[in-house]
Amino acid sequence: MTAVRTPLLDRRDFLRAAGAGFMAAMTPRAWAKTLDADAVFATAFVKRDGSYGAAVLSEAGDVLHAIDLPDRGHDVTFDPVSKRSVVFARQPGTFAVVFDHTGRDKPLTIASVAGRHFFGHGVFSPDGALLYATENDFDNAAGVVGVYDARSGFKRIGEFPTYGMGPHELLLLGDGRTIAVANGGIETHPDYGRAELNIATMKPSYVLVDRITGDLIEKHELPSALHQLSIRHMDCDQAGTVWFGCQYRGPAADRPLLIGRAARGKDLQLLDMPQDVLAGFRNYIGSVAANPAAGTVAVTSPEGNSLAVIDAASGDVVATTALVEVCGLAPDGTGFIASTGAGEIVEDNGARRSEPDYVWDNHMLRIAEPA
Amino acid sequence: MSKRLAFALLLPLAMVGPSPASAEVRASAVIQRAIDGFIRPAYANLRDHAGSLTKAVRALCDAPSQSGLEAARAEFSATVEAWSSAEIIAFGPIKENNRLERMLYWPDRKGIGLKQVQAALAGKDSTASDPAQLAGKSVAMQGLGALEFVLYGDGGDALAGKDDPYRCGYGAAVAGNIETMAAEVDEAWRKPDGFAALWANPGPQNPLYRDGTEAVTELVGDFINELEMVRDVRLKGFLGGKPEGDKPRQAIYWRSQNTTNSLAGNLSGIDALFVASKLGDALPADAQWMAESIHIQLANGVATAKSVTGPIDKALADPVLRGKLDHFALITSSLTTLIGTRLTSEFGLTAGFSSLDGD
Repeated sequence: MTAVRTPLLDRRDFLRAAGAGFMAAMTPRAWAKTLDADAVFATAFVKRDGSYGAAVLSEAGDVLHAIDLPDRGHDVTFDPVSKRSVVFARQPGTFAVVFDHTGRDKPLTIASVAGRHFFGHGVFSPDGALLYATENDFDNAAGVVGVYDARSGFKRIGEFPTYGMGPHELLLLGDGRTIAVANGGIETHPDYGRAELNIATMKPSYVLVDRITGDLIEKHELPSALHQLSIRHMDCDQAGTVWFGCQYRGPAADRPLLIGRAARGKDLQLLDMPQDVLAGFRNYIGSVAANPAAGTVAVTSPEGNSLAVIDAASGDVVATTALVEVCGLAPDGTGFIASTGAGEIVEDNGARRSEPDYVWDNHMLRIAEPA
Repeated sequence: MSKRLAFALLLPLAMVGPSPASAEVRASAVIQRAIDGFIRPAYANLRDHAGSLTKAVRALCDAPSQSGLEAARAEFSATVEAWSSAEIIAFGPIKENNRLERMLYWPDRKGIGLKQVQAALAGKDSTASDPAQLAGKSVAMQGLGALEFVLYGDGGDALAGKDDPYRCGYGAAVAGNIETMAAEVDEAWRKPDGFAALWANPGPQNPLYRDGTEAVTELVGDFINELEMVRDVRLKGFLGGKPEGDKPRQAIYWRSQNTTNSLAGNLSGIDALFVASKLGDALPADAQWMAESIHIQLANGVATAKSVTGPIDKALADPVLRGKLDHFALITSSLTTLIGTRLTSEFGLTAGFSSLDGD
């Protein structure tokens, strides 16, 4: 399994947008510099020809650089210290690929160890020394966080439990030491592809784990009537509150609340929402992103083709947008940029661009600090 | 682009939308045909077979005999076939009250369900042989997997005699539970103001399907998901990449030798649903071949699965029969591409990419 760079292709894409004269004047070194300066977002994608990859995008959503992936990717995490990103395979994938924005360094593939596969999400320690990834100890139906040494070729140096099943997104909290994990509660095993094996008995949870000791700090479950509400995606707002989005595996006619807040030492709190907004999610939240500067949190539903922005302090829905197959989200200025499974990238001001060859995967990551 | 515009008539997209009214009518027609032409008959058929199965098991309990046991086993196989066709409808009333899992708990990867059934049999748990109480027990104890063990598992032959009335009584309770669920689902789909009415009448006020695209995406997504289920869960759950990786004891219904009947039933259900809906009629002339090809390949998959007969462990050990199972896998993969990529792209749907995958 190797990741292959395709800088030429993306250079062409960029140049098509930038104009040919610009291209002729650039040396490779200057090109790398431009990429460095302009790289703002990262995301996994599928190309219309069926191939997979991950891309670095400019502020306006132009593809600056892309790598190929052997199979479908999911989320990307970024280390601002070494300026490297890691894209994780979508579950039950067995690879993660480390790449820089410019293609100067060859991408490095991390293979999951025997008995584990990735769930699609990961996070770096604040100093960039360690990479943490949610993984499946599938024979034991137990979630783990794999720990990788980023300074030693991303060698896997250990793991600790997530104290639940089917962990999905994880977040490093503001103290730099506590990792929040959304245990989706769903059992899967690679012998059966992506089939969900325990829908009747699933039990999702939200946990805080000490990344140094691996100890459980807090564990919270939803009321038993909501045991089929899978907690999947999260982000942290300006006050340090974690916002999470859920996917409901029970009957489609049920209308459970799908967005919740988690504060240290407190029970999970589901957010009441106007019925029309809630109904528009079709029981599925695909991505959650906070814009701390703006004091807002956005959630998307690719099933419901809807995006909603919530005021983090009051919990009020302040805006909703209908957008076909919207899922990827990242803070952008005072709002959010969104990407779709139909290949669109939509800026906060409503400007849309579409890369005809690309279909964007579920997540977008901001890799540059807001200007 | 011209193709997409042609499809906008059927599936209104946000970007291209002629008269929404006519578009809704046509999406509705596809869904109504799916309901009347496949879904309602499939559940009615299941209900009939589950009823006969319950009668046969009760008759066996009343007068144990070898012929009575054979009759009950024959009804079990017929019910499995009816369920295998109907179970590809993985949405709607079957999703309520955990019915999908209660009808068939599978895979039982760690043998938890099997142990629960064995414990009930060993302990002669009277609450498990009471249909009303059984419905509230572990999902693994109340469906086809449990009944298969009762009829075909260790000790099952004793049902021909009078030595194990508890086992028969528990089997009758399971059969009755299956019949009850089949009847509930059948009735729910028949209700004039029930789920069928919601699905066939998308619109802004509809709580489940706000437009024709959402209604048709449910159908197309079901084809994609069920093909993946048949291949990745049912087939690859026991068929290894190489013979050394085969796990015949992990095969669904291996005890009753219904493994390939079930695989055939699944594809047969998908084919019947696809044909009944006439979804293919919505394709433009130059893409009509897709509908034809989907139907031919589904029929080919059914025939291929049915040509593998006898115990599944023997089939796996026979290179010719094993090759047929490989071929079955190939057919389902080809169908996944055809429906999940090509058909959806003709319809301007991106189904199968970001929204139908549960990530």
